[in-house]
Amino acid sequence: MEETTKSIVLGLCSGGIYALLAVSYVVIYKSTRVFPFSQAAVLIIGAYFMWFCLIVWHLPIWLGFLMTCAVGAILGMAIERAFMRPLVGQPILAPIVVTLCLMLLLRGIGILMGKGNIEGFGESFLPVGAWKFGFLHLPKIQVYGFILCMVLIAALMLFYAKTRAGLGMRVVHEDHVVAQNLGVNVKRIFQYSWVISCIIAVIVGMLLGNIQGVGLSLDLNGLIAIAAVLFGGLESFAGAIIAGLAIGILQMLTIQFIAPLLPGETTMMAPFVFLLLILFIKPYGLFGLVRIERL
Amino acid sequence: MNINRPCGTFDRNYFQAKELYRTPLRKTLLALLVVGMYLLPLTMGDYGLSLLIPICAFTIGMLGLQIITGYCGQISLGHAAFMGVGMYTVGILQRHFGFSFWFCLPLAGLIPMFLGMMFGVPALRIKGLYLAFATLAAHFVIVYVINNWRSVTNGTEGMWMKRPDVLFGIDFKSDRNYYFLVLSITIIMTYLATNLARTKLGRSFVAVRDNDIAAEVMGINIAYTKIMAFGIGCFYAGIAGALGGAYYEYVNIAWFRLEDSIWYLGFLVVGGFGSIFGAIAGAVVWKIMDELSTLVTPLAEMFLGGAAFYASAAFSLVFYSLIIVIFLVFEPRGIAHRWEIVKRSYRLHPFPY
Repeated sequence: MEETTKSIVLGLCSGGIYALLAVSYVVIYKSTRVFPFSQAAVLIIGAYFMWFCLIVWHLPIWLGFLMTCAVGAILGMAIERAFMRPLVGQPILAPIVVTLCLMLLLRGIGILMGKGNIEGFGESFLPVGAWKFGFLHLPKIQVYGFILCMVLIAALMLFYAKTRAGLGMRVVHEDHVVAQNLGVNVKRIFQYSWVISCIIAVIVGMLLGNIQGVGLSLDLNGLIAIAAVLFGGLESFAGAIIAGLAIGILQMLTIQFIAPLLPGETTMMAPFVFLLLILFIKPYGLFGLVRIERL
Repeated sequence: MNINRPCGTFDRNYFQAKELYRTPLRKTLLALLVVGMYLLPLTMGDYGLSLLIPICAFTIGMLGLQIITGYCGQISLGHAAFMGVGMYTVGILQRHFGFSFWFCLPLAGLIPMFLGMMFGVPALRIKGLYLAFATLAAHFVIVYVINNWRSVTNGTEGMWMKRPDVLFGIDFKSDRNYYFLVLSITIIMTYLATNLARTKLGRSFVAVRDNDIAAEVMGINIAYTKIMAFGIGCFYAGIAGALGGAYYEYVNIAWFRLEDSIWYLGFLVVGGFGSIFGAIAGAVVWKIMDELSTLVTPLAEMFLGGAAFYASAAFSLVFYSLIIVIFLVFEPRGIAHRWEIVKRSYRLHPFPY
């Protein structure tokens, strides 16, 4: 029982990152109706750029953080302008293939940036060590990461709820044509979505680089977060957050119960088996919209 | 295909309607092409064969994806994994049971076919993007099983395969004879795929792709059609994998990464959706790019210094994805569409349209 509680708490902590990543997918999917597979590789870019700032250029942490966020913003803007805008209105396959190829393109750039090596930030920029609550050992890195993720999600929700641009984005989520008629610049909103999502992705990249080391395998986290997005429903922020946490817990429980029975990377596998199960049982997720179509 | 015909050409009887190629010129050209493909190895050394055999194998795989994605409109992100299942089927049957290649080859098609049908079942309730997720998950499940079922698949080390035995006095150990075998199978598979598009099933594929609700209203069994598309496509993938693996006489998990599935989709776009010619063009372009990128690797070494291995890996990723993205942005209908334009402008020569 103690072990299970431990797994669940640790899972919650690591699930915060999946929740944030899932939100970064939902931001783009909700407004542009394109699923951004490329975000998985933006993680790599973010982590490597932060590594450059801290280790190669010896910049202070706050400056490195800001510069990495700026790179994320520029990346998002560039992707939207160069690749996604010409494909507005094309059949669904074209944007899917483009975002998949962008994922590999960014991965290639990641290889060039880090020469394929796994690097570290040297000194973690979040506090290390652990808190003890009875039998629970909470690594501070995870807890602070979780708190940062939740703060970012809260900030994003505030942005949606309180600002004018956020209002415009919510209109675009509902319907592109209606938004256009109401005087919302839909293209601008698409650009905002990509920028926001890419900034979130590079921040997650930094956090994950801090925990797992800066390497090419970071994009697996992005692919696992896809399972979270789907479980929550593609169109739901609340769903993404709940499902992200759920996937984190699922992974930890897998380590506890299933990993001793099966060989190999079961933690990597479990989310995808889960994804298949969701698709068989409840394909539109917890809070996804079931679109009723007619001729 | 009727839609590609010039204006005013009609079929006047069933024989004409059944013909794949109408004009004597096209028939001659096709015959010349086939004969030329058989004669090619006489002019080429081992290097040429090392290009041609993978091209043929990948053409079969690409035809499979064309059936799933191009005809039926279901996105598959696990095509390379199904190809791998085909390879491993042959490898495992040879290694553990000592069956001959001829017995393994049909099984190498049928086992991926059943797997593909299984993973295609979610397609009954979902479509488009969601299906991409299902096949993505299929990819990871298949790779996990192959990596970790060590007693059967030998894990990450891969396993040796044998080329086919002697048949009708032909020894397939030599590359040239093996090329003839692969080419013949490719031609048969291409012929079957061309005809599939004209059957009831093939037409219902296209109907489901264009509008699945309308197709259902017209009485097409969507569940059956989608699952058949997955089955047939994965059958092709399996055969392609078996032929490719037997050429290298080695199977390894590293040959079908997620990248390869994405390249499959991407080069299908480069070739052109919904036509057999597009699938072949996609496979040919892909392999030529492959060859180019290995040629350019020394250059990358020169510019980037020591990390040559990673430079070449990065280069091929960047290079391919840029080509596919640029094609999608500027010519979303692919090479096949360009070819139609060239043919039309030749036919209508003095006039622009």
